[in-house]
Amino acid sequence: MAQCSSQLDGVFVALADPTRRAVVRRLGRGSASVGELAREFPMTLPSFMKHVRTLEANGLIRTVKSGRVRTCVLDRERLALVDDWLAEQRRTWEERTDRLEQFVTAPEESTP
Amino acid sequence: MNPDLDLGLERIIRAPRATVWSAWTDPARLAQWWIPAPTRCQVDRLDARPGGAFVTRMSDDGAEFVPHLDACFLVVDELERIVFTNAVDSSWRPANPAPVAMTATITFGEHPDGTDYRLVVRHADPHARALHDKLGFAEGWGTVADQLATFVEKAAR
Repeated sequence: MAQCSSQLDGVFVALADPTRRAVVRRLGRGSASVGELAREFPMTLPSFMKHVRTLEANGLIRTVKSGRVRTCVLDRERLALVDDWLAEQRRTWEERTDRLEQFVTAPEESTP
Repeated sequence: MNPDLDLGLERIIRAPRATVWSAWTDPARLAQWWIPAPTRCQVDRLDARPGGAFVTRMSDDGAEFVPHLDACFLVVDELERIVFTNAVDSSWRPANPAPVAMTATITFGEHPDGTDYRLVVRHADPHARALHDKLGFAEGWGTVADQLATFVEKAAR
């Protein structure tokens, strides 16, 4: 549990920055080279590389070097840690809406 | 909306808008659906107006009630919209609720079949909260340690 929590901390560190979130979203559509990614963001390559390294250090992405090209791949399993947290909130609200719906459509509600 | 932190939900509820609205704003009605059974819900305050208190408690045995929500309404547009947050509590004190602070917006629209019910819940970054806790904790204890060190060093001289 503690390990899961510290992993989650790392994931949130990585996602606490808009550039890194944008990189994760971009990689959600498919793998891309560092060069391709960097062109989409208005910053120097060294600055951009810092973000890539943070994402990699926290396990959100993996990078594979082939010749002179470094390709970034999204680690969906790690991202699922965040989804679980949000999924739990979603479940709470969906079930709550189910109960509201049942309550207001139940016959006795019309004559309270 | 921030897809990493927020959630949205839309549903057509087959009941008149006024009925859905009163299920939200009448304490006795809210208590019947707000928390999943068999846990009992007690609505302590439901002051549905901007700045009004929204406080609920829950109980597993029906005897002892523990805190559930301590929040504050931001916007209440009759029959149309409710916005509340638990980032500010019912006494308007900035809060740091677990697991994460949120602002919920519920809109009630007219629909031929009943009510067009929409919900958006915006969450704070849970990591920001965790970091804040850690920093506050570390700084607090750091200060205590410094003062202790100063004190014992003086005493030793």
